[in-house]
Amino acid sequence: MDKQTANDGGAPLRSLESLGVAAKRVERPANESEAKQVLAGAFKEKLTVLPIGGATTPSVGTMPERVDILLDMTGMAGVVDFDMSNLNMVVLAGTTIDGVNEYLGGQGKGFFLPLDPPFSGRATMGGVYAANGSGPCRLRYGTVRDQAMGVRGIDARGEEVGFGGKTVKNVSGYDMTKFLVGSAGSLGLITAAIMRVYPLPEASSVCEVAFPRLEELEKFLQTLRSSVLIPSGVTVEPAKSGFRVVAAFEGHPRAVERENKDFLAMADSFGGRGEAKVGREAMRQALRAAIEPGGEAMAIKVTVPISEGPRTLAGLAAVAGAAKTVLYAGTGVVLIYGVDGPIIDGAKRLASNGFVAPVRLDRALLAKWGPRVNGTIERLVLRPIKEQLDATGVFPPII
Amino acid sequence: MEKEQVRDALQRIVGKDNVLWKDVDVSVYSYDAGLVKGRAGLVVFVDNADQVAQIVSLLYKEGISYVARGSGTNLTGGTVPMDGGVVIEFARMNRILEIDLENERVTVEPGIYNLSVQTALAEKGYYYAPDPASQKASSMGGNLGENAGGPHCLKYGVTSNHVLGAEVVLPNGEKTWIGGKALDAPGPDLMGLLVGAEGTLGIVTKMVCRIMRLPERVVTMLAIYNSVEDAGQTVSDIIAEGIIPATLEIMDNAVIRAVEESVHAGYPLEAEAVLLIELDGLTDGMDEQAKRITEICEKDGATSYRLAKDANERNVLWAGRRGAFGAVARVRPAYLVCDGTVPRTQLPKALSEVKRISKKYNVPIGNVFHAGDGNLHPLIMFDDRDADELARVHKAGSEILKVCADLGGTISGEHGIGTEKLREMSFVFREGDIRMMRGVKQAIDPKALCNPGKVLPKKEARA
Repeated sequence: MDKQTANDGGAPLRSLESLGVAAKRVERPANESEAKQVLAGAFKEKLTVLPIGGATTPSVGTMPERVDILLDMTGMAGVVDFDMSNLNMVVLAGTTIDGVNEYLGGQGKGFFLPLDPPFSGRATMGGVYAANGSGPCRLRYGTVRDQAMGVRGIDARGEEVGFGGKTVKNVSGYDMTKFLVGSAGSLGLITAAIMRVYPLPEASSVCEVAFPRLEELEKFLQTLRSSVLIPSGVTVEPAKSGFRVVAAFEGHPRAVERENKDFLAMADSFGGRGEAKVGREAMRQALRAAIEPGGEAMAIKVTVPISEGPRTLAGLAAVAGAAKTVLYAGTGVVLIYGVDGPIIDGAKRLASNGFVAPVRLDRALLAKWGPRVNGTIERLVLRPIKEQLDATGVFPPII
Repeated sequence: MEKEQVRDALQRIVGKDNVLWKDVDVSVYSYDAGLVKGRAGLVVFVDNADQVAQIVSLLYKEGISYVARGSGTNLTGGTVPMDGGVVIEFARMNRILEIDLENERVTVEPGIYNLSVQTALAEKGYYYAPDPASQKASSMGGNLGENAGGPHCLKYGVTSNHVLGAEVVLPNGEKTWIGGKALDAPGPDLMGLLVGAEGTLGIVTKMVCRIMRLPERVVTMLAIYNSVEDAGQTVSDIIAEGIIPATLEIMDNAVIRAVEESVHAGYPLEAEAVLLIELDGLTDGMDEQAKRITEICEKDGATSYRLAKDANERNVLWAGRRGAFGAVARVRPAYLVCDGTVPRTQLPKALSEVKRISKKYNVPIGNVFHAGDGNLHPLIMFDDRDADELARVHKAGSEILKVCADLGGTISGEHGIGTEKLREMSFVFREGDIRMMRGVKQAIDPKALCNPGKVLPKKEARA
């Protein structure tokens, strides 16, 4: 096991330090047994542990000012069991999403994991699971909660736990596989996930279209949603004059060909002009450019009902200052990159029908954030669960 | 508080005519579609969420247990009151509150039938994906409690993938919302926890569900086989080809015969198995996919296949599948349906084990299953007046679930644990796993009044 002191300066530690979180030491387990050893020790000695992967979304959970042990999970990486016939795999928590897809793409006829969060080159399976990270292709494939079949982990006493398995359907006991999605390390350490896997589609394409005005964009997106077209993901970003839309299509070559044609014609009828590019790499690059604007880190996630997405995006762009914004169209998810101007108050005001959550903010801003869930849920559900599962507070506080 | 006092207090909340207390009246609420029988003390019919909150608050203060009940189609005893508690009956909370096409959501009360929702949505060109075979009778709230599946879940997922928010009465009687029309409520996935919890963590009084546009085209095919194994091979080969159909359903000869006598779906009586395949999506490319599938069927030994020419033919083919459980009543008066699930490629082994178990315990077993997702439904047919046979049925059922667990699967795909599979939980969970689940239950329902005795085994009950 790699050990670092706070002064050694491992990448996750440096990343968290920049947000105002200090750790006495860093542990980097190479396997489940080592992780178990760290947690059992922490339980016994009443130490606090903060698990971390690629540190792309640390503020989804609570970030204690001081932690005794920063548990760097990037040492536990790899796909350990790919079941090609049953389309599933066991992937260790520290594996990056790009790493998973690189592996799957090289197997048999080619496969993929349909998770495409921003910064997927650093975002880890465990981190995306714990933070409920997602990308634009959630429109077609859903998120971790839709793709996870099971989870393996270690509880606050340092004992192994496991839920779900290698079947798509499973209602044996409480669905802890889903419950741990978004738990941000507060209820247990995720060491591995059992995920659904898909064959690479025969054809992929991307259409990029510019719309000069919000009104036409809104009408276009509504028409697209009520049509029979099935985009895998659609992003919308404010551009210099108007909005830029990127739409991905996957499937049978004839279906994709028709979708490109119909999509561009539909855009044209609302004043949108653009073009289609064929190929999976073109699709990936275009989506990635849309959700990683300038390499700036995500700061805040806003979710609203689907139809409010474009107007919320436009409203946020107006108060965002230098911060960039992107909408995952058809899902109502808006990401804000960087914090500038009155963006936090603006987000809370604009998303009154939805949710606003920090993704990566420093502790000073987090301290002013206020409650993230309603008081009844906090008092009667989340706090009692935390008390039951982690009474000594090994893991970070639940939100 | 005595029973009469509780009755009077409930009557003050819902009105005199909406509480049943006589033994003869409450006795029909003491069982569901499973085999277990319990005992209901009182039955109360509710009309709105405020009434539910008042009732639960009263029962919480008095320390009286309760169970929420929809249509009572549960197959594992999940809605059976085990200790003379109160049944909160939702049949009258059956309204569609809003169909919001712009946001692709429908908001319903829990007592509405699944099929009623589908019918209302179809008129507008939309549908709700989970479609349990019981959809004519099962309620949306019951579907939520059991995380119901259905044939179309192969491609689109089960109930938990489609319920996005709920108004919930917590075990102390307080009402709150989890999730909503917008996605990604902050914190752990409480909606995911609640779905499939069998009403043990709270009572849902409103549900917000995802709806989807009806596909441009649907192709339904029936392939006929001389062996169940060949049909199973086709399922694996279709998936390996990279095609994920909307449904892949298999029925064996015992079920085919029962269905034909009952529904007249046009399945050949001599067939050892039929495979029902459905593709949906864009028209473009679908004929090519259907052709590829027929080639696979031929390669795997299908003796014939046919395509439904129109909606009417499609409905007839589906009527056979949806009527399968009811149809076996023509063979024997009762059945136990096992709900074990295995990784898809283990289906042939699982089916061969089911045959062995049928012989070992001398009980007839018909098979109908969601082959695409490895979800078996062996129907063990018996006469419930024969105590010896009933004992053999329980042993056979448990052994089938052990086989599924040993093949890398699980003991329930979509029917839940209820009271009938508590012992079998140890086939798939270690004590530490169950302790974590018990911690959740203890935290949310510290008095253990909310549908007690379900889902989680007591320590001494474990095998």
